[in-house]
Amino acid sequence: MIARDRATYRLGSPGRSGYDAAASPPNPTSTVSTSPPNTPRAGLFDRQLLLFTGKGGVGKSTVVAALGVAAAERGLRPLLVELGHRASMGSIFPGSSIDHRPHPVACGGRLAAMNLELDEALFDYIVGQVKIRRIARAIAGNASLRGLFRAAPAVREIITLAKLQALADDLLEDGRRRWQPILVDLDATGHALMLLELPQLLRSLVESGPLVRVTESLSGLIADRERTILSLVSLAREVPVQETIELYSDLHERHAIEVGSLFVNQVPPPALPSTLLPWLSVAEDRLREKGRGKGRLAADLRLTRRLDDEHRSARAQIERLRAELPGIPRVELPMIHGGIHGEADLLRLGELALAVDEGQGEGVERASSAMASAGGDR
Amino acid sequence: MSAIDQLLRSRELLVCVGPGGVGKTTVAAALGVRAAQLGRRTLVLTIDPARRLVTTLGLDELGDAYRRVPLGDLGGEAPLYAAMLDPGASFDALVGRVATDEEHRSRILSNRVYRLMSRAFGNAHAYVAMERLYDATASDDFDLVILDTPPTRNALDILDAPGRLLAFLDERVIGWLLRQPPEGLRARLLARGGAAARGLLSLLAGDTLVDDLAAFLELFVSLRPGFQERALAVQGRLRAPETAFALVTSPLADNLADAAYLRDGLAGRGVVLRALIVNRAYVPLGDHPWSAGADARPLGDALALLEPSGEGERAGFSALLDHIRALRQRIADGNQRAHAAALAFADGAPRGCLKVQAPNLDHEPQDRRALAGLAALIADPRAELRR
Repeated sequence: MIARDRATYRLGSPGRSGYDAAASPPNPTSTVSTSPPNTPRAGLFDRQLLLFTGKGGVGKSTVVAALGVAAAERGLRPLLVELGHRASMGSIFPGSSIDHRPHPVACGGRLAAMNLELDEALFDYIVGQVKIRRIARAIAGNASLRGLFRAAPAVREIITLAKLQALADDLLEDGRRRWQPILVDLDATGHALMLLELPQLLRSLVESGPLVRVTESLSGLIADRERTILSLVSLAREVPVQETIELYSDLHERHAIEVGSLFVNQVPPPALPSTLLPWLSVAEDRLREKGRGKGRLAADLRLTRRLDDEHRSARAQIERLRAELPGIPRVELPMIHGGIHGEADLLRLGELALAVDEGQGEGVERASSAMASAGGDR
Repeated sequence: MSAIDQLLRSRELLVCVGPGGVGKTTVAAALGVRAAQLGRRTLVLTIDPARRLVTTLGLDELGDAYRRVPLGDLGGEAPLYAAMLDPGASFDALVGRVATDEEHRSRILSNRVYRLMSRAFGNAHAYVAMERLYDATASDDFDLVILDTPPTRNALDILDAPGRLLAFLDERVIGWLLRQPPEGLRARLLARGGAAARGLLSLLAGDTLVDDLAAFLELFVSLRPGFQERALAVQGRLRAPETAFALVTSPLADNLADAAYLRDGLAGRGVVLRALIVNRAYVPLGDHPWSAGADARPLGDALALLEPSGEGERAGFSALLDHIRALRQRIADGNQRAHAAALAFADGAPRGCLKVQAPNLDHEPQDRRALAGLAALIADPRAELRR
């Protein structure tokens, strides 16, 4: 990995294939900003509990699923966890049934997923706390109490964290961790912050009892930089970028959690290789001079100009991220027209994200060309 | 008149739900402008709008209070108002309204459990939205209220909140937790089982938290009838025939997955979805917004149209035109895949649900005129989503 502070290098070359690539989609390009010099960064999968957050609609679930597939292909034992009220994983892995226990969903059974659902997790939690199963069942089964738990503040968050901890601590017979890594698709940013703040908030409220132990151990898990890392997902658009910048400064000031990479998803590729851009301007001027502004060719030129503008404004937003968040490595993922479908697409996206994240140039070249050729098949 | 316009004319409450990041708040604001143009006195209640939307509406700030949106020559007689839901402030206002006296109010407002509940947690949004809805729909000042909800889960919270609040104030649970023995035989019987329940809760949550919770409930219990009345009224309102739910989504897979969750969640709660709006459905290929597919006009000899003046220009233009052809083909293919995904999703919408799509605009609307333009697109008969 070439260490260049705040430098960004581009992998793959957008314009390289120039004219002959006209029939294929844009070269997915990905860039990474490197860590500050002399601070080797641990790989994403060296941690066990990988939390992901970002504004809704940024394709967070797809990125998480893609990394899960890549982890499985590397021989790890990944588990995808989505929070109960979302149902994205079910449509990302169609045909799989996702419920409150881990089940295999892809990669020949090597990738498992589960939905962390309040009522079931609550039961597990109560069983863990009240050792007597019959009483636990009575509590969990009581309709009035369930109503109280659903409405009461913080219950959902405590249960979520406690369940994540139980999953993280679960061991195989041979003593290895059962799930390595656990990839958690957190809610939109506000909810993620709330989860992270919870142990602190609770400490102000609770002075004794089992919740104190739970709280202590939850804040320990979140603050454990060797074990837990939070990654951010954004788009190269004004509102998500703004929100990401605010989220990062909030995290930086108030939380002990380690922040990993920022995944910038769906980055629109250049409309034209840079060598052709001057020709676009010449062609526009020519049609204007000749009074041919209304035909189909003129419309095509305007379409190209619009797409180029879109690419440029995305680059400007990425530049803003670079300037405002110099300390966080960025991983740019290309916009794939028509979206990501199926395990093979996910694996390519995941490998691309990882290769860039780990700064393995060679891997990126491979992933980039694989992605480009896959796009060409469509 | 298009079906969307009919909806805006005939309903009293329009609830916009949808995943985050699909332009839902912008669509809600655009529909508000449209409704005012159609002559309806309209209120748009939004949740945490991006700063830009506030300026797009021509306002310098937006808070808890209703603000008149200056429509200028866009509007007619009917005014448009906007307000933002501020969870902390409004929850306090709610307590203020229901609490009987000043001391009672301030004791609630300073209770730690209350503060945690009203400020730190997402659920509070739903209660606050519920309260604002109660006020706004009961008011004679508005013909139509458009409610923009928070993304995904919290959108359903709007429907669940009234019932959940009632469950939270469940007599029996409160009976268990109250420290003073309640009056009356029935209440005392309930309280007897409660000692055990309270012990268990303490075991789980710790004594302090249970004490605080009990204190909170003691303060809150007297508010129950007031809350109950409002919660029931809002529950009824959300399912009334004068109310319509609109689902706003994009055709991206992640968004459709969230949208499907909402669609099914609404159905499971007995709410009929009246409109599906697929926003950013396609990239227009031509100059007009409906050009989702290939341009039928013959391209002709594009190179000749550019009249290259020499070999250098000829080579440059040829390369450019080759690239542009590939580019537009790629966009057309992407549009087609997005269209297929949107159609497949629309098949799961209930019978009688309007299905419309809006193009991916180059820029988010920057002013009220652009909002009106977006609404005009959504309300255009050509916006209908069909095979």
